[in-house]
Amino acid sequence: MRKFSGHSSTFTRAPLLAVAIAAGGMMAALPASAADQVSQERLLNVEKEPGNWLHHHQNYSAHRFSTLKEINKDNVKNLKVAWTMHLGGIEPGGIWSHGGLEGTPIAENGFLYVTDGWGSVYKIDAHGGRGVLVWKMDPKTDRDWAGAVACCGVDNRGVALWGDLVVSHTLDGRLIATNKETGQVAWQRTVANPDKGEVITGAPLIVKNMAITGVAGAEYGIRGWIAATDLSTQKEVWRTYTIPGKGEPGSETWKDSDNAAAAGGGSTWVTGTYDPATDTIIWGIGNPGPDWDNAYRPGDNLYTDSSLALDATTGKIKWHYQHTPNDPYDYDSVAENVLVDIPGPSGPRKLALEADRNGFAYAIDRTTGKFVWGLPFVKKVTWTKGLDPESGKPIEYDPNKPVQTYIASVTPSRTNLETDICPGNMGGKNWPPTAYNPELKLWYIPVIESCNRIKVEVMTPDKLKPREFWTGGGPSQPFRITGSVTAIDVTTGKIAQKMETPFPNLGGMLATPDLVFTGQPSGEVHALDAKSLQKLWEFNTGGGVNAPPMTFTVDGKQYVAILVGLGGAWDKWFIDSTPELKKIQPGSMLYVFAL
Amino acid sequence: MRALPASSTRDVMMIFNGFPATVSALLASVVALNVSMPAAYGQSAQAPASDPSNAGKAVFAKANCLGCHKWHGNGGGGYGGDALSLRKTELTRDQIVETVGCGRPGTGMPFFMRGAYDEVKCHDMNRQDAGAQMPPEGGTFLRQKDIEAVADYVIAHIKGAGEPTYAECVTFFSSTSRVCDIYKTPATKPDDATASMGNRQ
Repeated sequence: MRKFSGHSSTFTRAPLLAVAIAAGGMMAALPASAADQVSQERLLNVEKEPGNWLHHHQNYSAHRFSTLKEINKDNVKNLKVAWTMHLGGIEPGGIWSHGGLEGTPIAENGFLYVTDGWGSVYKIDAHGGRGVLVWKMDPKTDRDWAGAVACCGVDNRGVALWGDLVVSHTLDGRLIATNKETGQVAWQRTVANPDKGEVITGAPLIVKNMAITGVAGAEYGIRGWIAATDLSTQKEVWRTYTIPGKGEPGSETWKDSDNAAAAGGGSTWVTGTYDPATDTIIWGIGNPGPDWDNAYRPGDNLYTDSSLALDATTGKIKWHYQHTPNDPYDYDSVAENVLVDIPGPSGPRKLALEADRNGFAYAIDRTTGKFVWGLPFVKKVTWTKGLDPESGKPIEYDPNKPVQTYIASVTPSRTNLETDICPGNMGGKNWPPTAYNPELKLWYIPVIESCNRIKVEVMTPDKLKPREFWTGGGPSQPFRITGSVTAIDVTTGKIAQKMETPFPNLGGMLATPDLVFTGQPSGEVHALDAKSLQKLWEFNTGGGVNAPPMTFTVDGKQYVAILVGLGGAWDKWFIDSTPELKKIQPGSMLYVFAL
Repeated sequence: MRALPASSTRDVMMIFNGFPATVSALLASVVALNVSMPAAYGQSAQAPASDPSNAGKAVFAKANCLGCHKWHGNGGGGYGGDALSLRKTELTRDQIVETVGCGRPGTGMPFFMRGAYDEVKCHDMNRQDAGAQMPPEGGTFLRQKDIEAVADYVIAHIKGAGEPTYAECVTFFSSTSRVCDIYKTPATKPDDATASMGNRQ
């Protein structure tokens, strides 16, 4: 166990920091009050403290909905910058020239906890209408080691709170618990191994004294997993692989003779959700590998491209729903499953909503894992004619075929080595989170309206090497890509509104009673009318918005916060589809708005 | 031979745009050290700083060649397409110099020579002739001597090399990163061999 100082010795404002350290020390000496200890009770009942934002996705159901309404559609035009703070973490590492910001700030009792791309955690005192850095925990991430196998950017999506700890991940595979008052590392544990191509970008999910960790690396031949760490003993409670082992249920969906399952992908890099009523964790599972050569891995390739329900106590799989069997497109299903209860003829319908990379939004019965409804939320889908109304599978899906071709003329395959697909492989929606307004029953999807070109490389077992790409081809960007915010009426399963944007939505959504907040990679933060999606307010941050907004209160006043710093996959792999974004500079900044 | 999409040059550009002053100042000092220190301090020829291809290695990093070709030069497929293997390349020094300066039309390999396709024709083409085949512009322009230095580095340390080794990796990074651990063989495993594995269960 190594301890890190809360402050880097290279920090240049030593006198200021000394004061901060002294202040931190004084606070540490005071007994922590129960109100500052995060418990399961508090995590289950976040609606009782609307001024805080305790979960990565706001609540266990991933609603990203705040009941705060001091800022509303009548006065949002007066929203102004209250304060900003420059953060760090844009240093290069591995194949990446700079980091970016994709995190959701956590707010508790007037303090914000944010991360930068390399996993430094910042505690910021937001009292008094300004932001003051209390401490910074720099985990000294091994940048060359992790950055060389991070497929899609130097990213860290944020922290979780538990007891008196701030719990976070690092790209190089660690789970770190930091003392909330002092900024000192209490303990850390290695969960993922970059030597195997594993890295961590998601925020932890805290359930019953456990930190749940997901992993990235399906482009590097990993076998994906979800792992639970006991936050008291620091020991692993369970680790559930998303690709079944030999003889386990689902292993029959890997029909090859090259043991493709061992490097079959199925990563889990977006934080999942938790249904306390059934003690079930629901987590999105990523693409199979190699991404585009699906003939290398005949079979449906469970549990890739699925929503997976796990018993939270044991990690045992309860049910799964697969969206794109034997995926030849890189249409992963890592997106958050939003848990929603809708009145039905025989009592409330308990749904899990997921906006998939394949361009379809799904509602699944989260008790049984059965399909309820699905619809395309993007303007253009070319790979399938649609979903079977009963099963929700793509109409062309043939369970008797080892290799799926869907609409064969546009599907990447060994006989169609170069082809254009819509949505593009980055998906109709990527990791940026949706938001759900339970009063209006509208679900807001941050959309990438996209097509791109896929070139297939036929893979053979000898091409599988540690820490080298295992993709079976690659995308290029001959088409302009735009975006939208698309609202779905969850009671009908139909699109209620679509607000188109010049650039893809790479940040995600926040919902309040009558507003929706979001941003553009060209720099603008937007407030939209929750029903009409009409733009009511805009502020240009001058950077690239690549993170979701959130809201909180301090001393009774409402603020909206958002991290700004374009990084991630777009900046390196997809930028040619949005040439104007090439001029967006790397940055690392927290913006906080108020009336 | 596969095309590398232009998108993969984005990070090259960002280095240039994001850190022009610091990177160039740093590199200037690195180059200056490499050249001047042996003379000033009378170091022997085998000191690493006197290796002429160290300047080329600095260019390899500065121009972010490793963003696509990787530190080992083997390139490989992936999200950015397939950067060619410099280890398996059959290009001569002159051809490498030309490729770095002019890029590879129709692929994602950028050009790094200021004025290429404008003031200076490349592959007997100007920008108009190249049309859709125009390669992307590198994020930073390199002087002719930098282009020659990186070509010398590729010839001396990468071209013709077999699979990457631990020794090569450690030489490249000269840091405490665990990036080289996977290349360790029993003979090269140092005392921290277990550190990278952590506690898996």
